[in-house]
Amino acid sequence: MNPSTLALLLIVVPVGSAALTACILRKYHALATLLSVLVATFYLGGALDLALSGARFEHSFEWLKLANLTINLGFKFDDLAALMLSIVGIVGFCVHIFSLGYMKDDPAKARYFAGLSIFMASMTGIVFADNLFMMFIFWELVGFSSYVLINHWHEKDGPMNASKKAFITNRVGDFGFLIGILMCYWLRGTVNLSELTAQASAGTAVISTAIPLLLFCGAVGKSAQLPLQVWLPDAMEGPTPVSALIHAATMVAAGIYMLCRIEVLMVPDALTVISWVGALTAVYAALCAIIQRDIKKVLAYSTLSQLGYMVTAFGLGSLTIHSETGAEILVKAGVGAAMFHLTTHAFFKALLFLGSGSVIHGCHHEQDIFKMGGLRGHMKVTFITFTLGVAAISGFPLLAGFFSKDAILYLAYENNKAIFALLAVTAALTAFYMIRMWIIVFFGKARSDHAAHAHEGGFVLQAPLALLAVLAVFGGYRSFYPHGFEGIFNLVAEAEGPAKLGMLVVSLIVLSLGAGLAFAVYRSVATLTQHDPLEAKFPKLFIFIISLKESFDSVYTYYIDKVQQRFAMLLNFFDLLGLGGFIRLGAGAVSILGFGVRALHVGKLNVYLYWFFFGVVLLWLYVAGIF
Amino acid sequence: MFLSLDPFLPALGVPLFIALLIGLGLPKRWSVRLSYIGFLAPLLSALHVWWYFASSNKVSGFAFYNAYSTGIDRLGIGLKFGVNGLSMPLYVLAGIVGFAAGLYAIRSGADRLKLYLMLLLVMQAGLMGIFASVDIFYIYFFHELALIPTFIMVGLWGGRDRNYAAMKMTIYLTVGAMLSLFGLIAIYVKSGVNSFDLITLKQALADHPLELIKQQHFLGILLLGLGILVSLWPFHTWAPLGYGAAPSSASMLHAGVLKKFGLYMLIQVVIPLLPEGLSHWSHLLALLALFGNVIVIGLVTIAQRDLKQMIGFSSVMHMGYAFLGIAAGSALGTGGVVMLMVAHGLSVALLFLLTASIHQRTETYSFNDMGGLARKAPVLAALFTAATFASIGLPGFANFWGELSIFIALWHCSAWMTCVAILGVIISAIYGLRSAAYVFFGEPTNSFKLVDSHRPASDITCSEKIPALILLIALLFVGFYPASLTNAINSSLPASEVHSSTQANVAASH
Repeated sequence: MNPSTLALLLIVVPVGSAALTACILRKYHALATLLSVLVATFYLGGALDLALSGARFEHSFEWLKLANLTINLGFKFDDLAALMLSIVGIVGFCVHIFSLGYMKDDPAKARYFAGLSIFMASMTGIVFADNLFMMFIFWELVGFSSYVLINHWHEKDGPMNASKKAFITNRVGDFGFLIGILMCYWLRGTVNLSELTAQASAGTAVISTAIPLLLFCGAVGKSAQLPLQVWLPDAMEGPTPVSALIHAATMVAAGIYMLCRIEVLMVPDALTVISWVGALTAVYAALCAIIQRDIKKVLAYSTLSQLGYMVTAFGLGSLTIHSETGAEILVKAGVGAAMFHLTTHAFFKALLFLGSGSVIHGCHHEQDIFKMGGLRGHMKVTFITFTLGVAAISGFPLLAGFFSKDAILYLAYENNKAIFALLAVTAALTAFYMIRMWIIVFFGKARSDHAAHAHEGGFVLQAPLALLAVLAVFGGYRSFYPHGFEGIFNLVAEAEGPAKLGMLVVSLIVLSLGAGLAFAVYRSVATLTQHDPLEAKFPKLFIFIISLKESFDSVYTYYIDKVQQRFAMLLNFFDLLGLGGFIRLGAGAVSILGFGVRALHVGKLNVYLYWFFFGVVLLWLYVAGIF
Repeated sequence: MFLSLDPFLPALGVPLFIALLIGLGLPKRWSVRLSYIGFLAPLLSALHVWWYFASSNKVSGFAFYNAYSTGIDRLGIGLKFGVNGLSMPLYVLAGIVGFAAGLYAIRSGADRLKLYLMLLLVMQAGLMGIFASVDIFYIYFFHELALIPTFIMVGLWGGRDRNYAAMKMTIYLTVGAMLSLFGLIAIYVKSGVNSFDLITLKQALADHPLELIKQQHFLGILLLGLGILVSLWPFHTWAPLGYGAAPSSASMLHAGVLKKFGLYMLIQVVIPLLPEGLSHWSHLLALLALFGNVIVIGLVTIAQRDLKQMIGFSSVMHMGYAFLGIAAGSALGTGGVVMLMVAHGLSVALLFLLTASIHQRTETYSFNDMGGLARKAPVLAALFTAATFASIGLPGFANFWGELSIFIALWHCSAWMTCVAILGVIISAIYGLRSAAYVFFGEPTNSFKLVDSHRPASDITCSEKIPALILLIALLFVGFYPASLTNAINSSLPASEVHSSTQANVAASH
């Protein structure tokens, strides 16, 4: 098949499957499920075929043509897109299979699988997009599918609020993203990625710091970076396989993918901002993760933190390396390291999320880790694969996370020592909270009935775990990847000589520090109650982290309830009063006036003034949200 | 044979004839049956016009051109039919929304159904006439023909505050229409060609343009009059009130189609005839639309606690985008306005339709008393969510193309205004998703439980689903395949600005 036709099919087929489900198969759950899984299988085959066949192409169809504006449905398929497409295909397939078991008894299974199909199609659009308008279109559509899937259990208030929050927060980021795209369109004259690259290499580009920073706003929303990170932990209200696919492996990583796509627009100032935003997110989220009790929340904050890692890696920019011939070459090491970590993270984080799904399923939808315990004996496959995932993310030597994290640390060490320090602290915290969760969930004795009767969920739940575990173990070796992704992996800078040894030592110290501390705090796991010993040992630290975690949400809640809503109500009042209701209020006003004049008729001018200022102050207080 | 000669006559004639029959005392059973035909004829005509538009012969850009004498040719008034690229999409819109609203009304079982259907049929004929006419007098005439039934319907079948709403709507809209008429007559007199024919006027004013000062004054008057009709801030207050009170089919037709008359007049008649006048007013227009309609009314929409009022306000807000597209003063802006008018017409009609269905199940429009309807009516919830996402400009629905092209066009005039306008995208997401959540998701409220216990809510019925699906499919069709309309629109945009290249005009931005 013609590669560009196949690429188009990868978008059209999932959309068709979702449409068919919505129109006809709504009540035929088994058929809808089968259709969606078949589509995922087709997708995996098509994605791997495109990626590994070496087909690299650009092709576009005209989509909108209005006056002098043309927007294309374009496909730009290079090594970067091939890598991302393969990740989406593999993780998507695993999640579909896992969902067969996890969502088996769900009454709205058809809607769930249709939502997954819409997501696959929209994500594919982002991967292929050859211009920023098209990327924005599919960017919004993944947001929509995320909304639908988070809100899957819409009967409860939690998912309802979380889905709303996710979409609106993303829109805040997209506000900047869209402005950035328009600015790029008017200043640079094009939003086509290849044309932008051509302009840059021809030296005719208009240099702007605003464009990359505005486009970065989109990534801040989608990849949940500070200060828009608040939606991701709440998004855990959605079904766990959705969290694995959308809120861990692929959609939230789209922000980093987009940054790599527009690398050519970057300028040093913008990169500095990006790397600091990422580093702060990484350390902030890692801190929040160490006090979580909900197994999915630990993983959600961990995802935030790892996304921060990738964003930092991208922001660290290029690296000059010396080739064998002694020449100096500038390598886009930031892109390489970010995409490398994105890849390994997709594997091990999807593994961990699906593993947590297996645990939750086994414990009858108990998510509090302090009500689990001793699951090692009941759920052997989950335990082994989850352990591999924990080891991979903590940076255990020779597993996937070890290599990709080292690539980022090395780059940070070369380019920015302060960020290097932050990232090293984050790495230690990561090892701490992952080992903490691992001990509490799998060791000791069962701390609830559900945990005591935990059970494995059968083949469809275990097979995806096994597949992802293999990838999490071997994903760090370049030789593991088939021919076709060199364009990315050649950009990964590796430490050499003494620096290599130094990096190894740093990694091991960081790992043993975090892991050792976790083992020390939770060594008495056999006698663990439902209280966190960390809280007993470091109460001040615990309180500090709680307030840190809640600070953003409380500021936003304050703004929404006390400022925005009040302001809106005030405007509404004026709209009714000043512009609308004067005919109707005419009669009322006369009587109020009469009453007011009688009450105020005390004959002194200063009293009127007091009343006037009293009114002004009240109004001001109301608008400022004081009461 | 008749249809192939002139598709417009049946679109106007059939509904009017059936309305006449009903008025003459047709039995109820036959009134209902014939009403189906009355609403179907315009739809078929619209689809015919849409399908054959590209291949038909055009007279000065107008396809299916036909002229009929009505005996007042001495005044330069003649019944001339034809559609160009700007009116064809709206003609199709009127056909589709009219059919959906008609179907819904027929099955709604309203009191005095015969009178209700008769008025709707007259309104439908008027709507088709607005966009099919080439003679300005008749554009205006058909607008009045459609407007008068609206007042009556609000007054007779309206909900809360119906008398006040009907009075207020009548006052505002009559003033707006009078001002517009005054402006049109001024152009007619000053052009000196003694004709209301758009083609003749365009030619005459292109050869001998009016003096600049006259263009500015006439355009100002028309902008004010038409602005009132399209709820330009601060002349918008009739709109949420009127829509809140109007029966659902009347809201669908008025908010969806009739309100577009003002915008349509601006882009089809006023600005082409007075091309120099716009720049004098465009800054003021943009400021009013931006801060008034988009930001202030956007925030006011957030504050609403009544579903129907909220949709009414959101419609006012979206008109702000349309005015911004006009103020941009470029071919792209105009094209974006046409796209947005079609998209908004479909989506707001869908929202009003579904709102009526929600009301049947919850017996209230108040958000405080709703919640959790999705567990009882999942399909209704899905349709409403889809309509909400369409109206907040999700790609895949027609609205996105309209908003995006207006933003791009507006940047050309003012970058900071574009940034403020894009804020509206966040605002609309807030109220849109909130309303869906209040009505459908989460735990049910006690008052809804009470209503549900003595009259259990059912899912959407076929008679509600079919009109809703017609509107939704149209929205998705244009969203996925915008060329279905843009090819025609491009053919009527000023040719000098149409480039074939993908590149924006870089020089123009400086």
